[in-house]
Amino acid sequence: MTTDLEALLARVDGDLMAGTVTALAGAPFTGRRAGSPGGSAVREWLGDQIQVLGAAPAVDLFGVRAVPEVYAAPDVTWSDGAITRRLVFGRQTAVHLASADQPAVRRGGLAVAGAGDPVGRWLLVPAYMSLFDAYGHAKGTLGLLIGRPVDADGWHYTMLAGPDPGPLPVLILDPGTHAAMLAAAPTGGTWLAASAPIRRVDVTAANLHGRWRSAAGGAADLLLTAHYDGVGDHPGLRQPAAADNGSGVAVVLEAVRLLAPVLPGGTGFAVALLDAEEIGALGSAHHAAHLRRTGTSPLVINVDGAGQLHEAAAVEAGGPAHRLLALLDQAGRHTGLPLAAGPVTSDNRRYAAAGFAAVGIGAGMGGYHSPADTPDRVETTTLVAVCRLVVATVWLAATTPAIVSSLIGD
Amino acid sequence: MSDTETRGGFTGDPAAALTVTGTSGCCGNPPQATLDLPEPATTVGGPCCGTQAEATAEGSCCGSAAKTDAVAASQGCCG
Repeated sequence: MTTDLEALLARVDGDLMAGTVTALAGAPFTGRRAGSPGGSAVREWLGDQIQVLGAAPAVDLFGVRAVPEVYAAPDVTWSDGAITRRLVFGRQTAVHLASADQPAVRRGGLAVAGAGDPVGRWLLVPAYMSLFDAYGHAKGTLGLLIGRPVDADGWHYTMLAGPDPGPLPVLILDPGTHAAMLAAAPTGGTWLAASAPIRRVDVTAANLHGRWRSAAGGAADLLLTAHYDGVGDHPGLRQPAAADNGSGVAVVLEAVRLLAPVLPGGTGFAVALLDAEEIGALGSAHHAAHLRRTGTSPLVINVDGAGQLHEAAAVEAGGPAHRLLALLDQAGRHTGLPLAAGPVTSDNRRYAAAGFAAVGIGAGMGGYHSPADTPDRVETTTLVAVCRLVVATVWLAATTPAIVSSLIGD
Repeated sequence: MSDTETRGGFTGDPAAALTVTGTSGCCGNPPQATLDLPEPATTVGGPCCGTQAEATAEGSCCGSAAKTDAVAASQGCCG
């Protein structure tokens, strides 16, 4: 049996997975935001992959309300009284999720929340003040300006899950720009002119399913999951979502390619490629509810990020996952991949919350929800390491359930 | 390859994966960071927010070291 597993592991193809990541991150898929044309296009592409791998793809639609969409680059210019600067979208400024839609540019002086007259001005929110508190100083203001750190590449990251829109335009500024405005505001003669183009759209999202084998005779029923959606491109800003989560999808598809033809009869084996993870893991919530209704109890292995392994892959488990953890541990020891308990804030939590044994595996991302999440930053060695772990775990679950002992005595 | 010839698998108790602080979602959806292997004498944890054991010891949602790392990495953290 070990020899069989070794042969299987030797066939894990890093180049194939890297190709999948590059395809998913491609311009035609526009960052794969749920409900977008790119999301629909990538679903068709993935359906073809599932078909090539020998299963009939099934699409499960569901509605998602109020998905935030920055529909134009915000036009932001400011002056300290001497020099006028136009801010770069994505690096120096971005639209806050709590922002109201402000399509037209509005110009006014700069003031500091709690320290100046806000009427007709843009209001700088100091670092010590929460957005909630800032609203208390904002009567008559044009909008709020909040400082937020950028990532190591100098990008603001994009989130789709977050607060509902408030009553005012809210712009994010990089720390340097925020500090410069705070210093200049009391001197007078400063102004800012800005738009905040953001809207909420109701969309139809869709999970994509493939089943290769149904469980029989009490054998394990394995479900591999990865979300295929991203936060989507912004106008003028590509956000390829290569590591998050093109890499997870690539790992799952490669594991299917190797395992589907060789798993022993009776072992259930299916895949769910999930939508709307970036909007609160709604795709997995939808699927988990369906599984509950149908009375099935799969062992869920979710991959969220297989881009840049440092020393250990993060594993978070939930539900009755003790045996699954023992299998994962054994697979990790067998493949040489160190594992550490750590947060994997992804679809695995939805399955666990629904009562299923679920583990999430995360092995790093080079960029996060920004233009920096590009295919060249997804390490092929990491894709291979995580795929070998998944393949070994499924293989062990399918072939040696009676002799795999739990390390925690269940 | 035998299981004993590699350094793979969990570096601590696998059951710690069942008690990762933040399972309720209090930290939102932070960047999935790569992890350092823990020192042998300590419990394991990610940069945000550490483990339940750490959090319990700190009387907080986060271990202090994990919180410091998370803040330094601009990931945000709870507690």
